[in-house]
Amino acid sequence: MPLMERGDAAELARRVLARSAADETEVTVDAEVDDFVRFADVGPTQNGARERVTVAVRVRRREPGGGYREARVQTGALDDAGIDAALARAEAIVEHCPVDPDLPALGGAVEVRDTPPIRPTLDHGFREKAAWVAGAVEACAAAGLAPAGLVQTCGLTRAIANSSGRAVVGSRTRASFALTATGPEGSGFADAIGPDVDALDAEGVVARAVERACAAQGPRPVEPGEYTVVLEPPAVSALLLFSSYCGFGAREFSEQASFLCGRVGERLFPAGLTLLDDAADPRNPGLPFDGEGTPRRTVPLIEAGVLRGPVTDRTWAARTGLECTGHALPQPSEDGPRPQNLVVEAGAESLEDLIGGVERGLLVSQLHYANMIDPKDLALTGTTRHGTFWIEGGRLGHPVHELRFTDDLVRILASVTGLGAQRAVAGALFDGDVLTPALRVEGFRFTSAAEAG
Amino acid sequence: MDAERLVRDAVERATARGADYADARLVRTRTEELTVRNGRLAGALSDEDLGLGVRVLVGGSWGFAARPLGEDPAAAPAEAARLALRAAKAMGRAQRSPVQLAGRADARGEYRTPFELDPFEVSPADRLDLLQAAVAALGGRDEAVVREASCSVRREEQWMATSEGGETFQELVRAGAGVACQAAAHGQVERRSYPASFGGNYLAAGWEHVLGMDLVGEAPRVRDEAIALCSAPPCPPGRRDLILSGNQLMLQIHESVGHPTELDRVHGHEVDLAGSSFATTDKLGAFEYGSRHVDLVADSTVPGGLDTRGFDDDGVPSQRWHVVREGRLEGYLTSREWAGRVGEAASRGSNRAEGWFHPPIVRITNLSLMPGTWTLDDLIADTADGVYCDTVKTWSIDPSRMNFQFTTELGWEIVDGERRRLLRSPTYQGSTPEFWRSCDAVCDERHWRLWGVPNCGKGNPMQVAEMSHGAAPARFRGVEFVGGSW
Repeated sequence: MPLMERGDAAELARRVLARSAADETEVTVDAEVDDFVRFADVGPTQNGARERVTVAVRVRRREPGGGYREARVQTGALDDAGIDAALARAEAIVEHCPVDPDLPALGGAVEVRDTPPIRPTLDHGFREKAAWVAGAVEACAAAGLAPAGLVQTCGLTRAIANSSGRAVVGSRTRASFALTATGPEGSGFADAIGPDVDALDAEGVVARAVERACAAQGPRPVEPGEYTVVLEPPAVSALLLFSSYCGFGAREFSEQASFLCGRVGERLFPAGLTLLDDAADPRNPGLPFDGEGTPRRTVPLIEAGVLRGPVTDRTWAARTGLECTGHALPQPSEDGPRPQNLVVEAGAESLEDLIGGVERGLLVSQLHYANMIDPKDLALTGTTRHGTFWIEGGRLGHPVHELRFTDDLVRILASVTGLGAQRAVAGALFDGDVLTPALRVEGFRFTSAAEAG
Repeated sequence: MDAERLVRDAVERATARGADYADARLVRTRTEELTVRNGRLAGALSDEDLGLGVRVLVGGSWGFAARPLGEDPAAAPAEAARLALRAAKAMGRAQRSPVQLAGRADARGEYRTPFELDPFEVSPADRLDLLQAAVAALGGRDEAVVREASCSVRREEQWMATSEGGETFQELVRAGAGVACQAAAHGQVERRSYPASFGGNYLAAGWEHVLGMDLVGEAPRVRDEAIALCSAPPCPPGRRDLILSGNQLMLQIHESVGHPTELDRVHGHEVDLAGSSFATTDKLGAFEYGSRHVDLVADSTVPGGLDTRGFDDDGVPSQRWHVVREGRLEGYLTSREWAGRVGEAASRGSNRAEGWFHPPIVRITNLSLMPGTWTLDDLIADTADGVYCDTVKTWSIDPSRMNFQFTTELGWEIVDGERRRLLRSPTYQGSTPEFWRSCDAVCDERHWRLWGVPNCGKGNPMQVAEMSHGAAPARFRGVEFVGGSW
């Protein structure tokens, strides 16, 4: 499916901007394409060839005494009448909005790096997706396993233009193939995520999921308690994303609801641990600008074990006196700035080395339904999923029943004793991807038994 | 734009080009959300969304395509039908078992949400005035770091046509609002919300629902409780009786009864995202899901429910049925694709999509715990050692929906029938059937009300749906509370 060209998106943004008579106006054009096939034991269960174009307009009225009133409208009606109707709705809301006295003016012209879409990802068709599905379903059937998974390719072109002369445009693509293989007593999971579909190893995903599922059969009970664990990238991702949702942003930092409060600059973590927000990393790239068109900076969040941050946008930079790092969500927003491209720097150990450093512990493949109990130490709970294995004497052993964990992310990261050399892009139940190696963590707290599924 | 003609056109083009079955939904949604935080506008969004989703069945394979109607609406039906057919036909050898649909999608008619005050006729100024007043009422104490009020109103119009003669129109209106206060004191950060988490409570109703909440009047209590929680002791671990408020019980119903009884999930088709279900079909009719006090009714006709409508996105008329009757598992949430798997001749009508951009999937509809006979005062007086837990703070449940751990914003310690200390972050844990079997008392209809869930994520790619859960406070005996430093 064709993705709107960057030039066309930029031109649409300019056309909308020209129709606004507001004191300040910012226009965002989002053009998306998304092709997917979901599958299970019967083969494909759903698919979709989807396209959407949304125009968002942020309208501002400058107040004589300083500050602005502002509102945001979105529409899918792209003709002049539709745009004018959207602008009129915005004006009607702005009329009655409270004045925000310390909102900064819209940012002016900036340069951003060129981010063209990856063409093979956009060209990946349904026949190719169906072939991947067939391969997964057949391999699972041959092994006596039930498959479930998703093949997806999507693209986004975003153009932002504002009345202060800012005009930026970029594209990003994302391809993913995920397979969960389930047997009578256990399951295995593998996936591949990246901007270029041609770089995904679909056969490797199938082989890894099937191998892991076969190994997961016949789990034995394990008592809850504190264990040394090796967390594979999907498990690390499920934890770290909470520092993005609630932790590293300037708003929660300013409102005393962040684990950063009173700790920035402290060496809380091992020297080998470095966490960045980096939208320019080619393995998990983001758009080169944020929701206001500000160039995204690469920001150290944990630097050789020292806590850094927070990330900011123009508004929260002004309110906190920090520099703007380019991490705005589309404005105005109930949520503050947040990192969206977390990258954990690689260590030096192979997965075997990480396991080899565990006397008695567990290998955790994935975590399920992690959620936050408390923000001040990022207390989290969730369960293990799709393959948890006993480790003894540095060797991987039998599968174990799934467990619930309840632990603080600050404590977990402070207890990292090893980082893998290989990294992978991994997601979680909620939104976001993280580029991370596997981690070895001491004293990870499991609080009860859980069920597989 | 002639919406009826566009959906008929899409269906006719799809069937003319080889679809064994086709349906088309044209959906126009208008949403307005306002948030005031600490006296400043934190969010003001007005969204109008319009598009067409076309679903086809070819040789037992689904195909779905979604197209916007932004610039050339007349071209969308043909293009969407073409893309949906192409996707379906490409499935080929990967399709090991053909899709079979139960019943027929031949319903015709209209449904409109009843309301008193059209929320879109209430000016943004009036809405903002209410929010500003509520935020002001949250103020007055330095510990109240974040003072927030928000409201959200939505109108969804949907035109649907099916190749089996179905033609329906629905106008669904909903409104909601809430206040929240985040306090920081004594090294603690605590949050209190009213009337519920997730931005308040939402109903299929007009602005009269928001006016009935008395946000301004409740705000000082919300603020004071948030501040008091900062110096309250954490809820101690151990087993004791648990009384859940309605705005927490709704999540218990949602996560531990709603999701496990979605029939696609029972059959493993949600394993790749949210998980499977312990409530397998061999348990139907016999499994002791809960005690005899537990009657759980699915109802897409109940007045005010966020999933109260005329028809689901299979075009099946709305219904009411028991999922759990006097503790026994009696039914599932189904679509036309899944109803036949449990021997039902037709779907229960719980197949829904988020707007036009997503294909429908089996969804929890309004699912409620039927009221019992107790008053809350009598229930507390009858409890020797317990905790009354109120308002969702966080939740987590395992993939099969068996082991859960939920935390509420606050707890009130109950000792010898009296409400005593405030407790911080009570966290309880359990196993779904064991928990529901421990239910020995449910409050009566005077305490019963619908609670809206505006953010239910399911599907892969994930889509969001809304539904309501009716509940009155209920008691659960001997529940395990988990201790922690939070």
